[in-house]
Amino acid sequence: MLQCVFFLSDSGEVMLEKQMTAHRVDRSICSWFWDYVLSQGGDPSKILPVIASPTHYLFQLYRDGIIFLACTQVEMPPLMGIEFLCRVADVLSDYLGGLNEDLIKDNFVIVYELLDEMMDNGIPLTTEPNILREMIAPPNIVSKMLSVVTGKNSNVSSKLPDATASCIPWRKTNLKNASNEVYVNLVEEMDAIFNRDGSLVKCEIYGEVQVNSHLPGLPDLTLSFSNSSILNDVRFHPCVRFRPWESDQILSFVPPDGEFKLMSYRVKNLKSTPIYVKPQLISDAGNCRVTVLVGIRNDPGKTIDSITVEFQLPFCVASANLTSNHGTVNILADKTCSWSIGQIPKDKSPSLSGNLVLVTGLEKLHMFPVFQVGFRIMGAALSGLQIHKLDIKNAPTQPYKGFRALTRSGEYEVRS
Amino acid sequence: MAPPPSTAQKSPSPSQPSGKSEVSDLKLQLRQLAGSRAPGADDSKRDLFKRVISYMTVGIDVSAAFSEMVMCSATSDIVLKKMCYLYVGNYARCHPDLALLTINFLQKDCRDEDPMIRGLALRSLCSLRVPNLVEYLVAPLGSGLKDGSSYVRMVAALGVLKLYHISAATCFDSDFPVMLKSLMLTDPDAQVVANCLLVLQEIWNLEANKSEEASREREALLSKQIIYYLLNRIKEFNEWAQCLILELVSKYIPSDSNDIFDIMNLLEDRLQHANGAVVLATIKVFLHLTMSMNDVHQQVYERLKAPLLTLVGSGSSEQSYAVLSHLHLLVMRAPMLFSSDYKHFYCQFSDPSYVKKLKLEMLTAIANESNTYEIVTELCEYAGNVDVPIARESIRAVGKIALQQYDVNAIVDRLLQFLEMEKDYITAETLVLVKDLLRKYPQWSHDCIAVVGNISSKNVQEPKAKAALIWMLGEYSQDMPDAPYILESLIENWDEENAAEVRLHLLTAAMKCFFKRPPETQKALGAALAAGQADTHQDVHDRALLYYRLLQYDVSVAERVVNPPKQAVSVFADTQSSEVKDRIFDEFNSLSVVYQKPSYMFTDKEHRGPFEFSEEMGNLSLGQESMDNTPRYDESDKDLLLGTSEKEENGAPSANGSTASGYSAPHDYNSSLVSLSSQTRPEPATSDPSLPKHSSHGNIAIDDLLGLGVPAAPTTPPLSLNPKAALDPGTFQRKWGQLVISISQECSIDPQGVAVLTTPQALIRHMQASSIQCIASGGQSPNFKFFFFAQKDDKSPSYFLVECIISTAAGKAQVKVKADDASASEAFFALFQSALSKFGML
Repeated sequence: MLQCVFFLSDSGEVMLEKQMTAHRVDRSICSWFWDYVLSQGGDPSKILPVIASPTHYLFQLYRDGIIFLACTQVEMPPLMGIEFLCRVADVLSDYLGGLNEDLIKDNFVIVYELLDEMMDNGIPLTTEPNILREMIAPPNIVSKMLSVVTGKNSNVSSKLPDATASCIPWRKTNLKNASNEVYVNLVEEMDAIFNRDGSLVKCEIYGEVQVNSHLPGLPDLTLSFSNSSILNDVRFHPCVRFRPWESDQILSFVPPDGEFKLMSYRVKNLKSTPIYVKPQLISDAGNCRVTVLVGIRNDPGKTIDSITVEFQLPFCVASANLTSNHGTVNILADKTCSWSIGQIPKDKSPSLSGNLVLVTGLEKLHMFPVFQVGFRIMGAALSGLQIHKLDIKNAPTQPYKGFRALTRSGEYEVRS
Repeated sequence: MAPPPSTAQKSPSPSQPSGKSEVSDLKLQLRQLAGSRAPGADDSKRDLFKRVISYMTVGIDVSAAFSEMVMCSATSDIVLKKMCYLYVGNYARCHPDLALLTINFLQKDCRDEDPMIRGLALRSLCSLRVPNLVEYLVAPLGSGLKDGSSYVRMVAALGVLKLYHISAATCFDSDFPVMLKSLMLTDPDAQVVANCLLVLQEIWNLEANKSEEASREREALLSKQIIYYLLNRIKEFNEWAQCLILELVSKYIPSDSNDIFDIMNLLEDRLQHANGAVVLATIKVFLHLTMSMNDVHQQVYERLKAPLLTLVGSGSSEQSYAVLSHLHLLVMRAPMLFSSDYKHFYCQFSDPSYVKKLKLEMLTAIANESNTYEIVTELCEYAGNVDVPIARESIRAVGKIALQQYDVNAIVDRLLQFLEMEKDYITAETLVLVKDLLRKYPQWSHDCIAVVGNISSKNVQEPKAKAALIWMLGEYSQDMPDAPYILESLIENWDEENAAEVRLHLLTAAMKCFFKRPPETQKALGAALAAGQADTHQDVHDRALLYYRLLQYDVSVAERVVNPPKQAVSVFADTQSSEVKDRIFDEFNSLSVVYQKPSYMFTDKEHRGPFEFSEEMGNLSLGQESMDNTPRYDESDKDLLLGTSEKEENGAPSANGSTASGYSAPHDYNSSLVSLSSQTRPEPATSDPSLPKHSSHGNIAIDDLLGLGVPAAPTTPPLSLNPKAALDPGTFQRKWGQLVISISQECSIDPQGVAVLTTPQALIRHMQASSIQCIASGGQSPNFKFFFFAQKDDKSPSYFLVECIISTAAGKAQVKVKADDASASEAFFALFQSALSKFGML
């Protein structure tokens, strides 16, 4: 049971507070929290998500410069607190089209309204964005325009959503003016770790099946894969029926309206990675020679773009001089070095080279940076997962179906 | 929300209006608009309301505009209404008289034709929380529970809980619990059912202590019929309501094994739910159901592994931290089961360090013959990591794995490689490990000493590492040619050595070295003993003196004392007792798991969950470790979560574990502090949820210190007590056993005192002011038990021991006094009684 939720800016200012129960949580808890953040180095993203203050247990979540802080004095499942804050953050960014201090301050009335429906007496109530959107209209430009033109100001539909009473809590029962189309996107993230000798320590893909559905009535969808056996650790949206998946690995569901994450999965023990990054650091007499080579290892058949290599220079490096034969190299104030390559050119393989000067008194480099690699491949799911077919029942006319795939790097790390 | 002090604390920044004039300006404008029905009035109202709310949001007190806001509340615009409800909800409590003004329009809105307005109005009405307005709540709540719209019923159900918290009697008089129960069993809307369940649970939990019937009702919620009713509908509930139901099911006691399997089959798909809270709640149900079935329990672990590992991998780092804490618990209980999943616990560079730390601990735990090589290789990668604390942790992890006896050979090599990295913190950590390794595997001494001998003691600065190096120098001085000379140079710099630990080790090492190579060491030893005896540190001084006298007495005896033949250590003491671990496991899916301590160590008694300690009144088991540890003055509140009374020791690991007892040691800075429930953690490290020192208790203790004797002085009793009396629990227990009861009497407690006595701490602090210290306390409202003691303030210190059992329900205290000096016990009892009678009067 959460007693209070605060929104703090990343400078520790209280932007909003919402008391949930009879027990009023004083604002002073925020200044305690902020002192705690400062004592831990001042970076809110590095603070433990669950902490105990002298008076309350605190859950905190840091998203896009906003700290979501929830307080309680009673024992409760920690994930309930954290998951709830995640939902609040998701719903708000969905509603406001992003998250930042100004957006929250400009729309605090909507934020209050949302919090009111999402939690009563400290218990999470409705967090399903589709339903919330029917109770409280998002502050979009169209509705602002309308209110100017018609003079009617209410941004809330006067009718309660039927979904609160329906058996399918995620869907409004009588959707009429839908555009009759459904899109299925496979979005995969590749996590890989390479050791300094270039050996692959682990390589996995975390994937999501994202669906964007605009279908009228109560459509019943079935989605099947041609190679579902490679999937591990699947998790489903509440709309997915469990039995058909158990027996035949078929996803059978009545979709919510709009965008949602139908399923997430993991594919383990992959052996092939699309690109290689070979860093080499040789240090001697207070200097360190750096070379980094990047190239294609296994061609996925589609263009690899947005390639970046990022690494943190060890703090014992006094100055660095790095150049590349392709793309741009930036060294930021916090000693992060980022090299953006883009696409790999046909005629040469990109390389970065240069010299690091170590702080005086240090002969050799002992701490080696980890190179974080970013890339994106449109049109390919590197796990090899393939959609077999999508059937739609209960549809008055056959809707338009679209499929897409995308792989991007997750935690793609090369140690040196 | 914005209590005036918070505005005062905050220095108004230029962007924030300071308040006063703006508020009166707003009041004026609102007043003008109040009666207006002109077109566009709603628009201007909306702007004004927005400004009022925005002031409220930044923390400015705008309660002065209360009556104007209420006047403006007659509107059909729902957003205006919502803002008005928000405002009213915020300030009604501090203006109960004005709140009456709102009743009228809220009651009217409760009869509105729009269910949303009905619901919102009812919610606001219940959230006013003004006790003398309770009578206006009953009728709208009653009709709300019977409303045609599920939205209103859902709000009304929670409204009953709010009413209960304002006035329990009104709630029962109106028969709301009965209505809720029938609603729970019949309502077609799942959310209404869930809310009814929630409310009933909370009401019966709170009432269970007071009436038989309530505790029967509480049991009834756990009956097979209700549990199955809820489980069969579980898919209709939203994810949060599912959590609630799963929590209830985890307390259900199944009748037979079919029952268990039915439930597990029913819930199996919940493990695949996208919401981590649902998954964890389901896991808890599974674990609890199968607790008694050993073989199934193991299979359940297998089944739970995948969903947990998935949860760790997806979601934000905050979520994965919470999941990892639970996974950590399971891994620690059954490391074997996870031994093939070690790659899941590899650290990503971008993981926050709190996540990395948990992962390292798990990697350490699951290492076995098959995976040690891979795990140690991976851990060694982290040693060169930019993140220094993690680099340290990983070296320690390597050491711990070595102590688990897998693949020691390779690990020793790796550790020695660390020494060659010539990075001071790596060297420091490694030295400490090598020392522990040598204690367990003396056979490796040859290889290790060869490398350790090359380390210049100048490069080792950290006390722990320095002590380890010195220990090795002493222990293996026969194998290290220059050991005496290194020691000698260290002894020469005696005065520059700040850490007493290092100086102690230096003394011992000099002795050991002397026994093995007398001629070379004699001079150094002499210098060490002289320096040691001149040392200002008591322990160092004492040890030097002891060695000196031993040597004077007989050198061979001294050798037998200082350097006896040693046996290799087979097992290092486990730092957390298994009982504590079991308790945390019982509290799966709660904060205990994240903090890695059972809830009794950090929550207030009043907020404690259903897992209560069996409080065995009268069977006071005091901590065993207090027998061999001297009472500790623990000034730092570092380990205290939420500043409650339970403390844990933050000292050396005590092997004899903890005696978990429901009695809590009082906060007493004047006398000895003994922690009954002790638990040591391996590292009071940075990422632990440790607390800053300024906890509320610290302040109180200081207040007490300052106020000592003041309350006692005006009464000038014939008997005066030592305000700084100290007694360790061991002595207390012995004395309690030896002495006979000199007085046993019942006295009454002032009703005000009863009202204040919600936790034992209140009384403890009060009695402290009268120089009566508490050594142990326990119990829960309405029954408390205390053990007090006091000391006569004269030359022959004699103690008074008191057992005091208080029943707040009866307003009575049963007091038993035992005294060293029975003749003074009458006088003491009078003093005790007068102190007790003043309790609650301020």
